[in-house]
Amino acid sequence: MIALLLIGFGIVALIQVPGLVRKQWWRELICFTVLWFMGLIFSVMIARGINLPPITTIINDSITIMFGI
Amino acid sequence: MSLEKGKISDFQLSTLIIAFIFGASVILTPGKGAGHDAWIAVVLGLMEGLLIAWIFIALASQFKNKTIVEINSLVYGKVLGNCISVLFIWYLFHLGALVLNNYARFLQLELYPATPKTISLILIMLVCASTVGRGIEVLARCSLVLVTLIISLAIIDTLLVIPHINLNNLMPILDVPTGKLLWASHGTAIFPFGDTVAFLMVLAFVNKPGKGGSAVFRGLLIAGFVLIIIVARNAAVLGQMAETYSYPSYIFAQVIDVADVLTRVEVVIAINLITMGFFKISVVFYGTVLGLAQVFNLQSYRPIIIPVGILMVILALTNVGNAIEMFDFADRGYPIYTVPFQIGIPLITLLVAKIRKLPQTEGGKV
Repeated sequence: MIALLLIGFGIVALIQVPGLVRKQWWRELICFTVLWFMGLIFSVMIARGINLPPITTIINDSITIMFGI
Repeated sequence: MSLEKGKISDFQLSTLIIAFIFGASVILTPGKGAGHDAWIAVVLGLMEGLLIAWIFIALASQFKNKTIVEINSLVYGKVLGNCISVLFIWYLFHLGALVLNNYARFLQLELYPATPKTISLILIMLVCASTVGRGIEVLARCSLVLVTLIISLAIIDTLLVIPHINLNNLMPILDVPTGKLLWASHGTAIFPFGDTVAFLMVLAFVNKPGKGGSAVFRGLLIAGFVLIIIVARNAAVLGQMAETYSYPSYIFAQVIDVADVLTRVEVVIAINLITMGFFKISVVFYGTVLGLAQVFNLQSYRPIIIPVGILMVILALTNVGNAIEMFDFADRGYPIYTVPFQIGIPLITLLVAKIRKLPQTEGGKV
């Protein structure tokens, strides 16, 4: 599963990065790389069975406690 | 340099608004909590929704051809403006993940029980990413074709179900406690009508900026009228059970039976969700990537479409524990959580702009 993920993310990078380097769009390249890394890390965590915090549930619990509804 | 070269007409904006409102609401019917008075909650919700729309239209009219990110930079300055813009972009991103989640959950529960949710999410996201990459013009043109189809299907569904309509199911009118009715109407104003605040990222690309406001109102009124009919129809056909089903619009279609020939037409309702959900996800996804590109001063939003899409799928997969938590959030948390984004940011920005007498004109240009 993780190998499949790495191949998928590798293909995305292979499609995007050469064009950005050729055009010398460094700012775009940095943005792409940061978001790509975040996606890769979170995907690997999910694939390894690590539970990410359920953000919507946390927001809902905070609101219901704060407003007493 | 403008990040979006495409322009849409005011008519296309109206159809895009209709498609956006139908997005998830054809399936997750609004007015939940008001029982058989849900249609009254939708009427009241539409009125509040029009007020919310009036606020963001006033803001967009004041700053013509500017998205909310550019407006924030002008009104609050670069640093504070970008911080507020990031909050707004988070709202769009989170909304996209919530709709994706609803969409994939519906497909898994009702249509493809053996297909993993991740596969549905990735496939939907690929279609949305492809459309967003082609710009707002393509999305608006698609909406023109598909909204006509979906409204026609909704009318045909309603006509076919006429023999099963029992108007006694809608009686007695105004039987629900006022507090409950008002909460349900506020919930309807926020979802789906208030979510149209996402169009603060789109209104800048209307070819006749002066007509953007009327196009938004027209879209809201048409979509609101169709939703009132859908909600009243569901309650009239399903009675008290309409409140207990997760997807009443889908269940109601199961009663359609024309001479034992035309049956099981609920898949038509699924087509509504699949096509209209695509528009809602695409518009908020477009707003997210365009907003990020403007905040980080990029030359194009296209390089970040795929990574943002991946992150949206991840959030859709992990943002809630289960379906009950999702419905609980829709009923209790969402009507409060979105107020700062749908009303707070546009209203405060409008007031600050008025106080600071912005936009100041230099040589007739903003």
